[in-house]
Amino acid sequence: KPNFLFETSDFGVTSCCDSLLYPTDGAIVLLFDGFLEGGLSALNTDGEVELDAIIMDGRTLASGAVSCVKNIANPVSLARAVMEKTAHIMLTGRGANMFAESIGIVTVPTETLVTEYEMKEWEKHKNYVTGVMEDFNSQWAHDTVGAVAVDCAGNVACATSTGGIRNKMVGRVGDSPIIGSGGYADNFTGAVSCTGHGESILKVTLARLILSHIEQGKSVADASQLSLQYMGDRVQGAGGAIVVSPSGKWAATFTTERMAWAAVENDVLWYGLDPNKRLKEQLSK
Amino acid sequence: MLPVVVVHGGAGHIPKERSEKSTSGVCSAARAGYTILQGGGSSMDAVVEAVSELENNPSFNAGCGSVLNVKGEVEMDAIVMDGKTLGSGAVSAVRNIANPVQLARLVMDKTSHACLTAEGASLFAQAMGVPQVSQESLITDYSRMRWKKNLAPDANPVACQMGKMGTVGAVAVDSEGNIACATSTGGMLNKMEGRVGDTPCIGCGGYADNKLGAVSTTGHGEAIMKVTLARLILFHMEQGQSVEAASDLGLAYMKSRVGGLGGVVTVDPQGHWAARFSSLQMAWAAVQKDTLHYGLYAGEHFTQDNNPH
Repeated sequence: KPNFLFETSDFGVTSCCDSLLYPTDGAIVLLFDGFLEGGLSALNTDGEVELDAIIMDGRTLASGAVSCVKNIANPVSLARAVMEKTAHIMLTGRGANMFAESIGIVTVPTETLVTEYEMKEWEKHKNYVTGVMEDFNSQWAHDTVGAVAVDCAGNVACATSTGGIRNKMVGRVGDSPIIGSGGYADNFTGAVSCTGHGESILKVTLARLILSHIEQGKSVADASQLSLQYMGDRVQGAGGAIVVSPSGKWAATFTTERMAWAAVENDVLWYGLDPNKRLKEQLSK
Repeated sequence: MLPVVVVHGGAGHIPKERSEKSTSGVCSAARAGYTILQGGGSSMDAVVEAVSELENNPSFNAGCGSVLNVKGEVEMDAIVMDGKTLGSGAVSAVRNIANPVQLARLVMDKTSHACLTAEGASLFAQAMGVPQVSQESLITDYSRMRWKKNLAPDANPVACQMGKMGTVGAVAVDSEGNIACATSTGGMLNKMEGRVGDTPCIGCGGYADNKLGAVSTTGHGEAIMKVTLARLILFHMEQGQSVEAASDLGLAYMKSRVGGLGGVVTVDPQGHWAARFSSLQMAWAAVQKDTLHYGLYAGEHFTQDNNPH
């Protein structure tokens, strides 16, 4: 198996799929995407890790999200707890950490969440652009991961999780935890998880836009392509999206140079990194 | 092109003794916004002015008068969006400032980000020289009374919230055809610390696109998020629906799919506008040409000359 699948799994995205039935007749589709550059999480201007995540259940439209939560290993699990254990959809900052603590999720040291590479990059940029709040090229120094799935009963779900962009301002919230931007799931249309330049994804509410095209009769691939194209034309942003329809059609589409993705369907693993390249591997039963 | 400003002061059930203040508040805010447009200001200037005025008015759940979280503190959310560039700015769970909508605009204008939250938003406010205000200055006797009442173990804050949702918002089209929206709120009564509702989430609390129109929403935040109400209404307009029909379709869908009530103000690029709600009441007002329009209950639509000399 390609190692990027493990990378994303390590980050906890798989927890979103725990509740989904594993295939007996191959109706399940799982997709992961994520950028390979940088570490698992990026450091903000204060050298801290602030994480955003969202999860959504297409059957009820219930959703849970956390933004700017500090130093926890699996933000997506916390997002799920927000969905399942509170009357709210989104918790932020200290409130999100307090909720994590109240349900027994422990905080972990910053070093466990960032790679040595990220630490070095952050130091370099910090020294180089002292006083400059944002990194010119920061849109590429991020690592968002996501998953969408449809189970045998036709229930769709999505999850997206991110450490944001390097040297982001303290408290910056990107697209990932925002419903309709970082992800959306609806049993009637499908599920989407997005990655790319966060502010651009927000401007066009990319996940919801893709699903509106599907609603209008477009295929999952065409809907993704049209929406990413629109994001490029209208706000000059690049990104990627993974999509599943309730009937199990799926697509992994991107306008960035690369996007690591993988999908499992009918005991076949599909994966890719470069545009128009799709590899296949038979999984043993 | 007919410039217009439409504002709302929240969907819900407004107690009778407070309804007059709500109506006069939204009328005054709509007039203030329209004055900006008449003076050659942009739609963005107009919605920020209208919403700032409502934030400063203690009758509404935004800025001064915000509901309190479970700890008895004020945490506020706001968003602005510019329909020309699709640029937007938002703040969530921000404390100790008088006008979150103005901070949201600064996020849009002065950073490359679209949303800042909690302590980070406060740090940014300080860096921008936004004056800090005390928690006390944002809290009214009414909001403290409602907070205490809902601390009781048998209290139902969600039901009680329908007594005064009070989120405020505005949409506007200026003479150049630029469209903007702004929404601001203290959130939900007795919410958990750090709870973020629909208001600062783009496509939920508001959305503006010069090609389609703009929407500002109010109501049950979690329901609005589940259906991304603002974006949903604009999708209907993209499919050819009128501002009124699109708003009603969006609200009806929210009610049938997730059982949520709310209200919206909507404009299209031609200056057509609507103020629609599925809740019992929504204080709203609009100014276009020389006429002030306003209402509170479903079906109510009063008009008045906006230039009484």
